[in-house]
Amino acid sequence: MSAGKDGRRSDRIAAGVFWVLGMATVALLLFIIVEILARGLLTALNPKFFLGKPEAMKAGGGILPMIVSTLYLVVLTIAISLPISIGAAIYMSEFARRGRVSGSIRFCLDSLSTLPSIVFGLFGMTLFVIYFRWGMCLLAGACTLAILNLPILLRGTEEAIRLVPNTYREASMSLGASKWTTIRKVVLPTAMPGIMTATILPIGRIMGESAAIIYTTGLFVRNIPLNPLDTAAPLAGYIWYAQSEALVNDYRRIVDGGAALLLIMVLAVYFLARYLGKRYQQK
Amino acid sequence: MRTRHKSAAAVAVFTTLAVLVTLAGCGAPARKGRYSGTVKVSGSTTVLPLSQEAATEFMALNPRANVEVQGGGSSVGVAQLMQKVVDVGNSSRELKGDENNGTLVDHRIAFDIIVIVVNPSNPVDELSHEQVKAIFTGKVDNWKKVGGPDKEVVCVVRDQASGTREVFDEKALDSTKEHPMESTPSAIECASNGVVREIVGTTRNAIGYISFGYVNNKVKAVTYGGVEASVADASTGRYPMARYLHMFTRGEPEGAVKGYIDFVLSDPFQTEIVSQEYIKIKDVTVK
Amino acid sequence: MSAQARQAGIRLGALNARERNVKYLMFACASLSVLAIMLIFLFILRESLPAIRQLGVRNLFLSADWSPNVSNPEAGSYGMLAFINGTIMTTLSAMLIGAPLGIGAAVFIDQFAPPSIAQVVRRGIELLAGIPSVIIGWFGLTLLVPFIARLTGSSGYGMLAASLVLVVMALPTITTLSAETLRSLPPELQEASVAMGATRWQTVYRVLIPAAREGLLIAVILGMGRAIGETMAVQMVIGNARQLTFSPLQRTSTLTSRIITDMGEATGVFRSALFAQALVLLILAMVLIVSIRLISRERKH
Repeated sequence: MSAGKDGRRSDRIAAGVFWVLGMATVALLLFIIVEILARGLLTALNPKFFLGKPEAMKAGGGILPMIVSTLYLVVLTIAISLPISIGAAIYMSEFARRGRVSGSIRFCLDSLSTLPSIVFGLFGMTLFVIYFRWGMCLLAGACTLAILNLPILLRGTEEAIRLVPNTYREASMSLGASKWTTIRKVVLPTAMPGIMTATILPIGRIMGESAAIIYTTGLFVRNIPLNPLDTAAPLAGYIWYAQSEALVNDYRRIVDGGAALLLIMVLAVYFLARYLGKRYQQK
Repeated sequence: MRTRHKSAAAVAVFTTLAVLVTLAGCGAPARKGRYSGTVKVSGSTTVLPLSQEAATEFMALNPRANVEVQGGGSSVGVAQLMQKVVDVGNSSRELKGDENNGTLVDHRIAFDIIVIVVNPSNPVDELSHEQVKAIFTGKVDNWKKVGGPDKEVVCVVRDQASGTREVFDEKALDSTKEHPMESTPSAIECASNGVVREIVGTTRNAIGYISFGYVNNKVKAVTYGGVEASVADASTGRYPMARYLHMFTRGEPEGAVKGYIDFVLSDPFQTEIVSQEYIKIKDVTVK
Repeated sequence: MSAQARQAGIRLGALNARERNVKYLMFACASLSVLAIMLIFLFILRESLPAIRQLGVRNLFLSADWSPNVSNPEAGSYGMLAFINGTIMTTLSAMLIGAPLGIGAAVFIDQFAPPSIAQVVRRGIELLAGIPSVIIGWFGLTLLVPFIARLTGSSGYGMLAASLVLVVMALPTITTLSAETLRSLPPELQEASVAMGATRWQTVYRVLIPAAREGLLIAVILGMGRAIGETMAVQMVIGNARQLTFSPLQRTSTLTSRIITDMGEATGVFRSALFAQALVLLILAMVLIVSIRLISRERKH
C-alpha cells in the first residue's frame, strides 16, 4: 500500500474534492443567510412592521402578535419541560441502574427524537386541543413542543449533571449529607450553568418549529395573546400560512420580512448559546 | 464565575417576562357599542378574508362583541352551523339537497365570477367549454392541442374544500352527483385565490381559475366559450361561471349575529372592502 | 450511569420516606417519555382505525386513488400509495446526494481541513441545522423552483425541488454524526496506515471509512429520518398534486405534505385517512430506530 506517483496524484485530487464538499456546505449556509437577510432585513427592521398588527385582507400588515406568540411559546414550553427534564436527568444519572427500565426509557427518548414533528402536531391536536377541549392555544402548543423537545433537553441536562465531578458528591456525603441533600445543595447548583446552556438549543428549535404548532396554537391572530389559553400565531407558522394563503397583496414583503426576523432571532439564540457555552467551558 | 452565569440567565428570563407584561398592559380602552356577545363564524376560505376583515372592523365599533372567524371550507362551515358549533356558516356555493332542511337562512353578501387565467407569456387567448374540460381533466396535457406552444400543461386548482373548486367542477367540468368529475391528479392544489394567481403568474405553462377581483397584470384572463368574464355578462348569465357568496344562519339572526351580518351588508363595507375583490351585492340583479 | 455514582448511592444507604417520594417523582419525569410515545401511538392509531376498518388495507395503503369528498367523506376514495411513493422517492434521492456530500464534508473536517477551517465548517453546519424549515422552504420556493423551471422547461415544482430541499435539511445530521464517528476511531488505525506509506486518501477509503462503516450508516439513517419527517419545506416546493409518479420533474405529494394540505378541511373518514398517513410515518420512524439499534448492536460485537 505504498504511495506511488499515481497515489500522490489521486491524493491531491481527493483532497481537492473534499475541500469542495466541505466548503460547499459553508457556502450553502452563507447563501441562504445572505439571501434571506438581503430580501427581508429592511422590512424586518421597520418599526411599522415589527410593531404593527397583521392584516387579513389589506396590504401593510405588521407582525407583532406573531413575535410575541413565539416568545410566549418559548417561555411556556421551557417552563413546562425544564423541570421535567431536570427531574428525569437526576433520575437517569444519579439513581437509575443500567437495566431494563432505563434501557426502555432511552429507547423511547431515541424514538421520540426521530418522530416527524407533524406527528407531534396531530397528537397535540387530538389530545390537548380536542380531547382536553383547550382549543387551539399557546398552552396546547407548549405542551406539544415540551414533548417534542424532551429528548434533546434531557440529553443536555443529563450531560451537565454528569459533568459534576464525583469528588463533589463524595465530599458532601463524607460530611454526612444525605443523597438528596447532596443533589439539591451540591450537584444541581454546580450543574446549573450547564443546564442553562443546554436550554438554549431547544429554544432555537421551538422558535423555528412550524409543523407541530399549526394545529395546536393557531395560524393567524390580530391581537397579542395574553392568556396561555388564547389562540396564538407563532412566527414560523405564520410565515407558512402567509405564503400558502397569499391573501394580502404584499404577502411577499411580509414573508420576506418575517423570515428575516425569524432568522435573526434564531441566529441570536445560537450565538448566545455559543457565548454561554464558551464561558461555561472556561470555568 | 458561576453566579455571574446564573445572573445572566436570570436577566434574560426577566427581560422576556418584562416585555410580555408590558405588552400585556397595552389593551384597547373600552368603548361602548350597540352589540355584545360572541359570534362564531367558520366556512369558505373564499369568504374568510371578507369575514375576518368585517369581524375586525365590527369589533372596533362594538368593543363588547367578540367575533371569532375560522376557515375550513364551505362544507365545513355549513356542517358546523347545523351542529350548532358556529353561529354563521360562510359558503361560496348554494346549499345542497341534504343541507337544506329549511332552517338555514341565506344571506347573499357578494357576487363572484370565476375567471380562467394563464401565464401572460402564453399565446392562447380563448378556450371553449370542451377545451377547458379536456385540459382540467387531463385529457389534453399539451398546449399544442389547443393552439399553443408544444409545452406540458400545468393545471393549478383549488383545495378539496373550496367552494370555488366545486362551482368550477360543476360548471366547467360538468360534474354531477351521479357522475362526479375531478380535475387531473397532476394538478397543483392551492389553498387560495392568491396562491393560484401567484403560481400561474410565475409558471410559464400554467392554467388556473380565480375570482374576478383577483385578476391583475400578473396573469392573463382567457375568454370562456367566446365570452369574456365581465359583470354585465355574468349578471345576465351569458358568462356561466359565476356564483353568490353566502353567509348562512340558523333562523333569522338576532343580537350580535344580526349586527355582524348587517355590517357585512352595510354600504361602507360593501364599497370599501367587498368591491376590492368581488362585486357588490347591490350591483347584481340576477337569480 | 457511572460506576462511581452508583457506589456513592450504595454508600448512602436507604432514603427516608420524603426522599423516596422525590425519587418516585423523578422516576415519573423520566418515564414521561415512555408515556408520551405510548400515548402518541395510541391516539394516532385510534384516529386512523375508522379509515382502516372502513376502507381496508388494500384501498387505503395500496391504492393510488386519492379523491376525497369533503361534503360527503364516505363517497371519496383515500388511497395513499402516491404519497408513500413520494416520501420514499424524495427521501432516497435526497440521500443519494446528501450522503456523499455529508460524509465528504465530515471527512474534510476530520482529515483534510486545517483546524481553524474545520472549526468554521463545523460551526456552519451546526448553524445550518438551526435554520427553520419554513425559511429553507421559502428559499426553495422563491429561488430553487424558478431555477429548475428555467433549466428544464417544467413547472419547477416537483420531486426534484423537494429532494434538493431535503438535502439541505438532512445534511447537518449526516455531517455532524459522520464527523463524530470518524473522530471516535482509534488514532492507531490512521497511524498504522500512514506508517505503511499510504496517502491520506488511501487511508480514508481503505481504512477509515470501512472502520467507521456502521457509524456512517447510522448517520445516513438518521438523516433519512429527518427527510421523511420534513413537512413545511417540502409542501412549499413539491407541487401538492395527487398523482403517482416516478419522474423527478413531476408534481406529487409526500405523506407529510399531504397531511397539512388536506387536514384543514377534512372530516370523517377523510380525516381518519390522513391520520393513517401519520401512522405510516410513525411506523417508518420506528423501523429506522430499530434498524439503528440492530446496527449498533452488531458494531459492539
